[in-house]
Amino acid sequence: MENDVDIYQLATHGFNNLNKFESTLKCAELFFGVSEYLNIEIEENSIKNIEKGSDEGVSIRAIGRNGSLGFSFTNRLNNQSIDLMVENSIKMMRSGTKDSEFIDIPQPIDSYPKVKDLYDENVQSLTIDDSIDYVTELIRICDEDEMAISQSANFAASTSKNIILNTNGVKVEGEETICSVSSHIIVKDKLKDRTSNGFEYQSERFLKNINPTLVINTALNKAKQNLNRIKIKSMRSPIILTPRGVISLILKPIASAINAEAFQYKRTFLVDKRNEKIGSDLITIEDNGLINGAVGSANFDAEGVPCQNTKIIDNGVFLNQGLLHNSYTAGKEGVESTGNASRQSYSSTPSIGISNFILSPGKIGKNELIEDIKEGILLDYTGDRPNLSTGDFSGLILHGNIIENGEIGPALNETMIGINLLELFKKIEHVSSEYKTYGSYQAPYLQVNDIQIIGSHN
Amino acid sequence: MAENDELNIFTDDLLNQLHDKAKNKVDYWDIRAGVSNGNTIEFSDEKSKEITSYLLTGCSIRTFIDGGWGFNVLKKLSKKHLLDEFVKTIKMAKFSSSLCKFKYPIKERNALTQNFKVNSKRNLEDVDLSEKIEMVKEHESIASNYSKLIKNTRTIYLDSQVDLLFLDTFGSKVKQELEILRLFSSVYAQNKGIIQNGTNSVGGVGGFEVMNTEKALSLSKKSSEQAINLLNAKSPIGGSFSVILDSKLTGVFIHEALGHACEADLVLNKESILTEKIGEKIAIEDVSVVDDPRFGQGEKFNLPYELFGSYFIDEEGTPAQKTIIIKNGILQSFIHSLETASRMNVAPNGHGRANSNSSKPQVRMGFTYLEPKDWDLEEMIADTKNGILCEDFQYGYTDPTTGNFQFKCRISTNIENGEKKENLRDVSFGGMTLDVLNKISAIGNENTFNYSDGICGKGGQGIRVCDGGPYIRIDNLTVGGLN
Repeated sequence: MENDVDIYQLATHGFNNLNKFESTLKCAELFFGVSEYLNIEIEENSIKNIEKGSDEGVSIRAIGRNGSLGFSFTNRLNNQSIDLMVENSIKMMRSGTKDSEFIDIPQPIDSYPKVKDLYDENVQSLTIDDSIDYVTELIRICDEDEMAISQSANFAASTSKNIILNTNGVKVEGEETICSVSSHIIVKDKLKDRTSNGFEYQSERFLKNINPTLVINTALNKAKQNLNRIKIKSMRSPIILTPRGVISLILKPIASAINAEAFQYKRTFLVDKRNEKIGSDLITIEDNGLINGAVGSANFDAEGVPCQNTKIIDNGVFLNQGLLHNSYTAGKEGVESTGNASRQSYSSTPSIGISNFILSPGKIGKNELIEDIKEGILLDYTGDRPNLSTGDFSGLILHGNIIENGEIGPALNETMIGINLLELFKKIEHVSSEYKTYGSYQAPYLQVNDIQIIGSHN
Repeated sequence: MAENDELNIFTDDLLNQLHDKAKNKVDYWDIRAGVSNGNTIEFSDEKSKEITSYLLTGCSIRTFIDGGWGFNVLKKLSKKHLLDEFVKTIKMAKFSSSLCKFKYPIKERNALTQNFKVNSKRNLEDVDLSEKIEMVKEHESIASNYSKLIKNTRTIYLDSQVDLLFLDTFGSKVKQELEILRLFSSVYAQNKGIIQNGTNSVGGVGGFEVMNTEKALSLSKKSSEQAINLLNAKSPIGGSFSVILDSKLTGVFIHEALGHACEADLVLNKESILTEKIGEKIAIEDVSVVDDPRFGQGEKFNLPYELFGSYFIDEEGTPAQKTIIIKNGILQSFIHSLETASRMNVAPNGHGRANSNSSKPQVRMGFTYLEPKDWDLEEMIADTKNGILCEDFQYGYTDPTTGNFQFKCRISTNIENGEKKENLRDVSFGGMTLDVLNKISAIGNENTFNYSDGICGKGGQGIRVCDGGPYIRIDNLTVGGLN
């Protein structure tokens, strides 16, 4: 990565400047972000666009003695712009109201975790020529498949470096790489004149783990499985959630509901449920930021707090400490931050995000689960999300199939499901041993019994 | 603006050098550069959460050679860096071209040379930060004091002043000065263990006057009303109903279920249900749909500013224009970028949009709406035996390949024998686009026509858009429920 700016010199300049405001300033933080990416894009199953880009910038978080937060950012890395950002952050800070719930930004610590394999040298040295190899396989498989008529896909690789410094003495620097491949494939049954689509993606820290063949074949299978569509009658039946279904229906809602900010504002359906059994014994969920090589892992979060493994739900019990915190929400509750401060880039203040959010796999094979179902539904994807304050979910099954006598049958058209999430959690009967990882989420297959399905067949 | 001096590097000398370097090497190129600054003010429960000020410079280069594109986002703006990266981007297009299957030329067009400045009545630079903060505080106070049942309020104000420069192969040089504002209000109410939320936003292109209209001033009150009303709303019972959509939901239906399928990139990629349907009747005869993102439409809605989804040119230098998508039920045209128009051999119609200089243009909508007809709302309700009146929406999505769509409404009302009954929450309805366009049984008149604005996501980019229409009624729609 070409680096012609001396970030530490700029930081020193910024802190010297901030020191002048000691009378009103309680603490401040400088967050530098430097990133580069490469993206090869396929449309209509042809390479269409080659893209690269880079970005670097800094933000200043200035917090007043009354707890008021001022924030400023720029992508102009020079002393003059730093001066302007210091001035602006102080001006913003002075315009805010008192916040007695603010305690402090993080303190430095002696040692940070040493998570392995977050950075792949091969991503940094990757050329456009090398990247093409990752997409040619996608194009070939789509071309050779009789039913595939088109594909949008991409391969992307990026490197990023964050440097966080604050007036308490935190000074951390970390680099990471991410590469990903996605395939959205369109298939057509020419005889029946039916069209359908399937989508799959993979993201990894290391290039060597990227498997375009597996990604496109999975997308292709999903598209074909989704081709023959029927309307069904309303019924109560068991459903099998695929890992993607589990992520959208269970993991994402829980991740949002245990976000300490939403929780403290009492905006989520899990408020008042701590230390309670909220679901089947089979559910165990943790947020683990320390897994070597995982996409959601890091040594420290977006404020420089060490990452950790936080247990959220243990055998169906929502643990008292099962919330994800940044330093602000932790201070408000009088606990330690869980190292879940998250930022999209230097241009945002720290919010709260997951690291690797994992529903532990079970013992039974997923094929066994399906084989045992006489009449049921396989649910892979719904674009809906539950009402987070009530936990009510009602949504369209975008990708789902009938299961009949232990076999996966036709896909569902205009079929919806409705349930409250707490009821769903209780009705989980089986957890499969197979699991899949999508980005920062890891999920097995689940069987949930007695679910209301609303069909549109009269 | 003092900070926009960075755009001064684009002298005639530099432009000549760029044209020289591109000559005989590249079929088309464009450069977008811009400087933006602005504020974000976020309050919750009448306390400031975050007050932000920013200053950003952005520049990207796009090149095209016989079907292959190169796109390069620069991290800084200097003459030397720009020229070096320009040459690299030409190489990227060349490489891309060597691998792509579809060969075509970009349609030539006239060079556009213009300086455009949006007509702001109160320029943002004349509005002190304290006035913006007072405005946010006022909204917070209205919401917090609306009822004892209001437990949490949140108000976010965002503004930006943007100076943009567009250059292209044909010799275009367009400078634009825009001011864009948005206000967002979210309120949570709680009673007997039930939590409900009301959320609304208003946005516009113009000066601070955007915040001084009745529409903006009543925003937090509207969110509070919604949250309180929803506390007593019931969960719906699933089934098949006649559903009346308010103008907001009609707009969402037109945007999500129909509009996306009209985006020519999806059509070319065989992802749209409307592929090869131009000239065919796809809806009942009363259905006419247009996309008109031109400036100058605020007045229609008694607003002293430009609509949030409006623009002067798209991000490829094509002027915004009115496009008729459906006329009397017959599909007339798709919406296009330079690329899709060139490939399908039609004129580009100004829909190659990007959300910033660091994103490449995609085919996107502007202000998409259904033309009104002749039903009164009261008449429509009185004519409905067993139905649901749905108002305001939470979110919606569509699978453009199959046309299967799904929307979630915020607040709904049961209709029995032509009369409104109890309130319902979280009603979701879905169907197949082409089926539903033929199941519309009533289209409201001018008086029921309105628009709403928001951010539409596609390919990782959020774009400001508007959509709208009159109230409409759709028969036999599948409604989801918990029971």
